[in-house]
Amino acid sequence: MQSTPAKPGRGHLLLLISPLLAVLIAFLVLPLVWLFRASFYAGEGFVERSGFSLAHYQHFLFDGYYLSVLVETLLYGVVTAIVCAVIGFPVGYSLARLPPQRRRWRMIIVILPLTLSLVVVVFGWVAILGRSGLVNSILVASGLFDSPHTLLFNKTAVIIVLVQQTIPFMILSVMSVVAQIDPVLEHAAANLRANRFVTFARVIIPLAAPGLMAGFVLVFVIAISAFITPMLVGGSRIRMIGSFIYEQMMSSMNWSFGAAMAFIILGAGLLFTALLNALAARRFVRR
Amino acid sequence: MRKDLIDRIMSVAGLVVRVCVYVMLALPAVIVIVSSFAADNVLSFPPTGFSLRWYKSAFANEEFMASLWTSTYIGILASCLSLGIGFAAAFAIDRYEFPGRAAFQALALSPLIVPGIVLGIGLLYLFAWTGLNQTLAGILFAHVVLAIPYVVRTVLASLSLFDRRLEEAAMNLRAPPWVVLRRVTFPMLLPGILSAAVFAFVVSFGNVTVTAFLTYDDTVTLPVRLFSYVQQSSGPFVAAISSIMIAVTLIVILVIEKLIGAERLA
Repeated sequence: MQSTPAKPGRGHLLLLISPLLAVLIAFLVLPLVWLFRASFYAGEGFVERSGFSLAHYQHFLFDGYYLSVLVETLLYGVVTAIVCAVIGFPVGYSLARLPPQRRRWRMIIVILPLTLSLVVVVFGWVAILGRSGLVNSILVASGLFDSPHTLLFNKTAVIIVLVQQTIPFMILSVMSVVAQIDPVLEHAAANLRANRFVTFARVIIPLAAPGLMAGFVLVFVIAISAFITPMLVGGSRIRMIGSFIYEQMMSSMNWSFGAAMAFIILGAGLLFTALLNALAARRFVRR
Repeated sequence: MRKDLIDRIMSVAGLVVRVCVYVMLALPAVIVIVSSFAADNVLSFPPTGFSLRWYKSAFANEEFMASLWTSTYIGILASCLSLGIGFAAAFAIDRYEFPGRAAFQALALSPLIVPGIVLGIGLLYLFAWTGLNQTLAGILFAHVVLAIPYVVRTVLASLSLFDRRLEEAAMNLRAPPWVVLRRVTFPMLLPGILSAAVFAFVVSFGNVTVTAFLTYDDTVTLPVRLFSYVQQSSGPFVAAISSIMIAVTLIVILVIEKLIGAERLA
């Protein structure tokens, strides 16, 4: 250890870490614990906050309708994550291999959707896919459509928008892992007369697997908890748990049911992550 | 021969995918900006005519101006608070050995992985109980929580690149600790600190997934206002407001890029 400018005392340390601990315990840990408790309230949780019952979970899990919405939501999550992995990988890989000078503007484009407000991004897609939007103009002008259709309110639109807002996580995650893979390994594979596909499948993908996995889980968790996108792009025809939760909290005022659904989504996300990790572990052990 | 063909297909496919992804990433922002200059009442692309009327009506709109002010105000406060809290925490993580340090760091970064909707309704419960609902303070604390991981990460990155020998040199020259801090440590960390601050601002300024559950009549932030506008209509007026938000975000990104490079944003 090097000597430090101010001799580290216990008091100093406590002073440094206690504000963060206080804020995160009060406004992150406590709300989550509370929410968990609230999902077991006997009543609706908006006015009366007491009692213990499993009614809200039963209401969700024994109702075929809610279960089908849950399955649909998870499918949206999986499809979004797969699309992100397939098209995000080449981008993350090439970013990692580019010299910093040429990386600059590409990085800005990747980071913009992350920092930009989600509503603005989603509104942009409403403008692109709407009746008089860019896509319709192109399709009508090229003669593929006789008259403009609305391209919103369908599954494809929801998935496109979910992919666009989550793909930066995948790209950055792949990029940070690929940056640590020595390019020498690829040259070695090429010297052994592997073509690019073989190098890609046998060298790059296995080495970049941790980055792909991290990105996959992150994209999945964000996608299944989405509510802005299904509400604005999906409309009433697309059903995702997120928009149900929003409705329960903001208009039906059945807070406990909303809380139960939030934990079901959180649990589904954790379960999926654990499953994926177990799968990956088995694969790596076998090799 | 076959090897060449596969290589060529791979590189063309890779190029096509990359171009498509970059276009997809930039498209919503570009379309919004272009359509905000429309002259008529409907949002269309390509826009008919060119005018600044929607910007004029945005700035003349009281509701919008109130939200813009609210968001700016909360953003600045959240930025200052999360910077103070996050800097102290990052400094402790970098400079001190203490039991539970890894867990502490994980806690500091954990708001990144909690879904916005879950945190939002959790806070709604908490605030309904403590009477912080319908107040700016509630929204402010929520935004501080959201901004902390970005601050901690950015400050940690610049602390890890910091050359400690400079501090030692200053101390060898008999500079008292607070002078070392003020004249050596702080100036060297300044780009990282400023980046963290503007990052925190933009996280607060743009957040909607948590804030949507916490706003009330007089405390509606700009993104939440925009959310309710888009639910009702999608005219060029909404595009003008969105463009203002894009401009703010882009300025912030460019500032950070200048200060520490876009590399370390991620």
